Amino acid sequence: MLSADEAADLIEAIATRQDRAAFASLFRHFAPRVKAFIMRGGADAEAAQEVAQEALIMVWRKAASFDRTRASAATWLYTIARNKRIDHLRRNNRPAIDTEDWLTVFAPEDADADKSVLAGQTYTRVKELLGGLSADQLVVIEKAFFEDKTHTVIAEELKLPLGTVKSRIRLALGRLRDALEKDEP
Amino acid sequence: MSRHPAPEELLLDYVAGALPAGPSLAVALHVSLDPHSRRMVERLNALGGALIEREPAAEVAVGDDDAALERTLARLGEISVERRPTPGARLSAAFDWAPAPLVPHLRPGMGWRRVLGKFDEIRLDLPGDFHRVSLLRLEAGRGLPQHKHSGYEYTVVLQGGYTDETGNYGVGDFAVGPGSVRHEPIADQGEPCIAMIVVEQPIVLTGPVGRWLNPLVSRGLI
Repeated sequence: MLSADEAADLIEAIATRQDRAAFASLFRHFAPRVKAFIMRGGADAEAAQEVAQEALIMVWRKAASFDRTRASAATWLYTIARNKRIDHLRRNNRPAIDTEDWLTVFAPEDADADKSVLAGQTYTRVKELLGGLSADQLVVIEKAFFEDKTHTVIAEELKLPLGTVKSRIRLALGRLRDALEKDEP
Repeated sequence: MSRHPAPEELLLDYVAGALPAGPSLAVALHVSLDPHSRRMVERLNALGGALIEREPAAEVAVGDDDAALERTLARLGEISVERRPTPGARLSAAFDWAPAPLVPHLRPGMGWRRVLGKFDEIRLDLPGDFHRVSLLRLEAGRGLPQHKHSGYEYTVVLQGGYTDETGNYGVGDFAVGPGSVRHEPIADQGEPCIAMIVVEQPIVLTGPVGRWLNPLVSRGLI
């Protein structure tokens, strides 16, 4: 296992001295997890492996942009893997768009003063919170993250009224906010 | 805090990567201007991180992971670690109102085009998206022609503000709804109102004169 602090140290080692051993440690921890995550959305093992490798290569390239005060390593990796999955889908179905566009969205430049979400704490609390969601809420959250489906599509799939899905999402996110606001000023 | 934030379920769609490029860009612009929604997006990203971390490693044949690592390590030789990007790379003063996520979509030669003598437009081309994505500029006190849409409409204000039947919208505010409701936004006093509008095509003009222009709109000429 790799703690959040250890993972952040490894990313910083890549940024400061192109540390290949650090990269290998990150790869061993995260590549199989990203692969499993992508496969839950229905991708085959080969496609999922490719997304995971592309995501880890992006970690290498962009290591200097990682800011441990803003996001945990797992959170940062999630955003990268999501973007790689979008690229992958668009390459298959739609013309590609530049991944860089997505990465700039939360670049440090818009950090301003609101670093109120302390990355490590947020991440730990979110992990605790996941265990506390009801089965109904968890299904909707997992379908969104794993299968990248909009709430409208999820409602159709679950044969539920749109309002019901919206309220489950809002309840789940309300718990997320309540749990985290204890950490925020 | 924004008076009109994006609905939370739409922020979830955005963070999950489920939105088409047009609506996704609209949400990205809103999030970049609205600290409240940005915090929610950071929490949602952390939820994504926790879901990845919770994943057991994918079952693979012994040795497969090592082989994948070796292949990846071999590729690193030709890929350099990029330097930290320097913030503040902006376009010309003509686009000084553009938030960061919009900048990659703007080009120096882009200019406002007068439409129907009423407002200015820059059409953005987001490959692979069926939405019509436009930047609109309205002089203070001027209104958009009364219109409705057959699909959803997403609006985010980038400069100035406007008022319609549903309320008053300032910089960073977000509006989303079925466009089937007729509406007639009027720009507030002060600097011109600039907004990004994303609509599922087509737009239907509903005013007495506008109705006659619909064939041009449906052909994308207006």
